[in-house]
Amino acid sequence: MVRGATRIARPRRLSAFILSVVAWLPLTFAVWYFAAPIILWPAAMLIEGVARAGFSDLVGTIDQAGATLTFTTTLRPGTGAGGGFISVDVNLLLYSFGMPLLAALILAARETTWKRHLVVGYLVLTPFIAWGGLADFLKNVAITAGPAVASQTNFSAAQREAIAFAFQFGSLILPAIVPAIVWVLMHRRFLERLRNDAAARA
Amino acid sequence: MIRFFILFLVLLGVLFGLELTPPVQQWFVVPWTNALAHVSAGLVTLFDPGVEAAGKVLRSTGNGFAVSIEAGCNGVEATLVLLAAMLAFPASWPRKLLGLAAGIVAVQGLNIVRVISLFYLGQWNRDVFEWAHLYVWQALIMLDVLIVWLLWVRTLPRGDEPPLPPGAAAAASA
Repeated sequence: MVRGATRIARPRRLSAFILSVVAWLPLTFAVWYFAAPIILWPAAMLIEGVARAGFSDLVGTIDQAGATLTFTTTLRPGTGAGGGFISVDVNLLLYSFGMPLLAALILAARETTWKRHLVVGYLVLTPFIAWGGLADFLKNVAITAGPAVASQTNFSAAQREAIAFAFQFGSLILPAIVPAIVWVLMHRRFLERLRNDAAARA
Repeated sequence: MIRFFILFLVLLGVLFGLELTPPVQQWFVVPWTNALAHVSAGLVTLFDPGVEAAGKVLRSTGNGFAVSIEAGCNGVEATLVLLAAMLAFPASWPRKLLGLAAGIVAVQGLNIVRVISLFYLGQWNRDVFEWAHLYVWQALIMLDVLIVWLLWVRTLPRGDEPPLPPGAAAAASA
């Protein structure tokens, strides 16, 4: 315990930290990719729960195969009665690449609480991955699939705008920025050590 | 710290919302992306003359392979994140402006490396291209933003940063 406290107080060079992050990234990316069906299962469950609660009239079944969620909808490809139902595939890897980044940042920081940080980080990131996956599905049926399908969803113009924004924010901003925010919030003492190191060498 | 994060998220939401508006797309994002394609082509032609840029597309005149620089790959979002982080953090305006100038160069510089590397990865192996494009480079660009921000925060004089909680301060000074 004393040894841990001593290690926390020791200054840390930013260059060493950056090199350590880069060294961890291949391993964390490999684990994330190959374990994706398991790692992303809670996000898939969350998506299914929200979809069934909020969009039950649009969603028939949701199946997970690897990192891909397949939504079979209640929507028809055209206005006629035939032609089957529209299905949408969503690749959850697109919204979860921040997981290996966060894991590499946590492991490189070498805090004594790294295991807890990994668990907390995973739990915090999961809802944001679900956001991206669900927004991707909604964008597909409300916008990308075209007017014949979009008209069956009964979304208003304002709702389609909100879906477009949610998708853009959930794909371009959140997957990358959330891991950075989570890491900074969990490593304020580590950041202080980095500043101590800079001050000591100034 | 909480004030910083709230301000950061508000600024980020506003900046990102502005970025999606048609006038900003027309007058800033599209010209910026086109310029990025031309700068990338200009750098590539230093060692590979068979490359040209047309609009936001970087194309090989030899085999016809082309990459189109789309939203998320033009570095605009990464720059907005850095902009929001530096504006939200308590520091003097000269330090913010200096940090932004250096930070934007660093982020966009790495983004040019991303575009050029993807251009060649795509000609070599499509699977590797997809992996690098969709996952690896996205993470690396955000890591770049985080590192730039950390470097900038380290240059700030003591007293500019938000106070640490008592426990953290005690541990840090032990």
